[in-house]
Amino acid sequence: MVRRIGCYVLIAVVLAFFAVPMLWLASAPFDAKPGLGLRWPDWTLANVSATFDHPYALTSLVNSLVLCAIATVVTTVLAALAAYALSRVRIPGRDLLLYLLLLLSSVVTGTAAMVPIFVLMLQLGLINSQFGTALVIAGGMLPAAIFILKDFMDAVPRSYEESARVFGAAPRQVLGHVVLPVARPGVATIFVWAFVNAWGNFLLPFLLLRDVGQQPAAVLLRTLYDEGGSADLSVIPVFSLLYSIPVVALYLFVSKRYGFRFHGGVKS
Amino acid sequence: MAGITITGLSTVYPNGVRAVDMLDLDIADGELFALLGPSGCGKTTLLRTIAGLEGAAEGTVGIGARDVTRLPPGDRRVAMVFQDYALFPHMTVAENIAYPLRVRGVAKPVQRETAVRTAGGLSLGGLLERRPGQLSGGQQQRAALARAVAASAEVLLLDEPLSNLDARLRLEARTFLKKLQRELELTTVFVTHDQAEALALADRIAVMDTGRIRQLGTPREVFQRPADTFVANFIGSTPMNLVPRGSEIIGVRPEYLAPAAEGLFTGSVSIVENLGVTSLVTLDCGEDQVGYVVPEDQEPAVGTAVTVAAPAARVLRYDKETGLLVR
Repeated sequence: MVRRIGCYVLIAVVLAFFAVPMLWLASAPFDAKPGLGLRWPDWTLANVSATFDHPYALTSLVNSLVLCAIATVVTTVLAALAAYALSRVRIPGRDLLLYLLLLLSSVVTGTAAMVPIFVLMLQLGLINSQFGTALVIAGGMLPAAIFILKDFMDAVPRSYEESARVFGAAPRQVLGHVVLPVARPGVATIFVWAFVNAWGNFLLPFLLLRDVGQQPAAVLLRTLYDEGGSADLSVIPVFSLLYSIPVVALYLFVSKRYGFRFHGGVKS
Repeated sequence: MAGITITGLSTVYPNGVRAVDMLDLDIADGELFALLGPSGCGKTTLLRTIAGLEGAAEGTVGIGARDVTRLPPGDRRVAMVFQDYALFPHMTVAENIAYPLRVRGVAKPVQRETAVRTAGGLSLGGLLERRPGQLSGGQQQRAALARAVAASAEVLLLDEPLSNLDARLRLEARTFLKKLQRELELTTVFVTHDQAEALALADRIAVMDTGRIRQLGTPREVFQRPADTFVANFIGSTPMNLVPRGSEIIGVRPEYLAPAAEGLFTGSVSIVENLGVTSLVTLDCGEDQVGYVVPEDQEPAVGTAVTVAAPAARVLRYDKETGLLVR
């Protein structure tokens, strides 16, 4: 009995620990005097209009959406094609190649490569370019995405493809009609994963987008301080709330629309 | 409608294995043809080479008057049912059946109409909106057949069509398959490792081993006069007795042996196995063991001495060196 009570108390404490930031995110944006603590708010919409009046707040969210949309689409499309090819083509040293890619990717986008990437982008004239930055972000995510998607592609039975081929499907049709739909849970997973990663990426946009009008939300958040260096609490709570909505919305949408399910069609 | 002509065909895998080795075969128009053999004998590879899923290293494959050796699978006008059926899990039964038409860009209403008509013919009428995962094994098999039929191909290829069904369903599906083939009059080649299935279904059987055909003939020929000891051993639900005598091997099926006053073999009964309507009796004849089949109520007691004989026409002689049929 005592054990049981103790167990529930422990769970309650852990729950509270994780719930407090959520509750803060729900209440602070609508509090007349938002603080860093949690309290019942004096309801107001003043913070919302303050955030909307901020010269860069909304722009940065739009920037984030554009940046992530490009990076996510590039990652998902290229990773799906590459994973399919790597899954089906037999080349010597294929697995080694995959592991090397995975290993290098953490180096390529990591802090270690900050300077070379900056110099490279500068010479390519891609500093302050949303598209260029999105490509660098996508490049960093690709190896891991290919690695994960290859497992999903491996799981698509060959007989599906062969069956489609015998009925006359061209390679493009085999991919579009059969392989991608069957590997859909994997593609959906990679899509969400890539978006979330790109959405939270601070270092690369911070490095490559010097113009504040181009910067995404993750970078702008850093500038929401007043001259004294303390947090601008009229903007940060609302901004944080807006910042978290797309990720949650995307997850719910993908999970509902493309659900992570698999209907077996092979008798095994 | 078309027959299949195979001449000098070899299929070699990248690792150098010759799965099909210089093989010649003619399959007549409208024939139900079985490729029979133990696993690894090359029967599935031969089927896949006919379909175009494996490339031919040498030789040619012809369907009707066309040489299809270098054509991709989709241009050969063949339809294939895979061992695992390969129904697309994300499509409904109707979409699966209509898939060959969708690939060819046939209009949606025609696709639908064909799916409904074909499904009706294979008693899948009420299941059109189900997904493959919601079907039983037998229904999945019929859906895969329906999809192959809807392709309106000249040749139907079936890879182990009955192996994924449980025993009772298998008999039902066997009858169904034969009936369907007779109705469609479609040249059909099926692969099986089950000799009973091949005997029951096929118009002609090719018994294969290590990429070559050991014997080609009607089920009766293959059963009554196996061309060599390999085929003799492989065909028949109870294995053929193969007893060395001098430079020859005497081959006689247990079903043809019966007790007699004078005969081929004499020995004492060592084992009696109940097969239902009949029993299989094993005799110890010195070094060799000989089996024979008796009706259910005539089993001898273990230890009795028995002499068995068979009609002369049923006793085959094989060469001991080559294993080939002498007479």
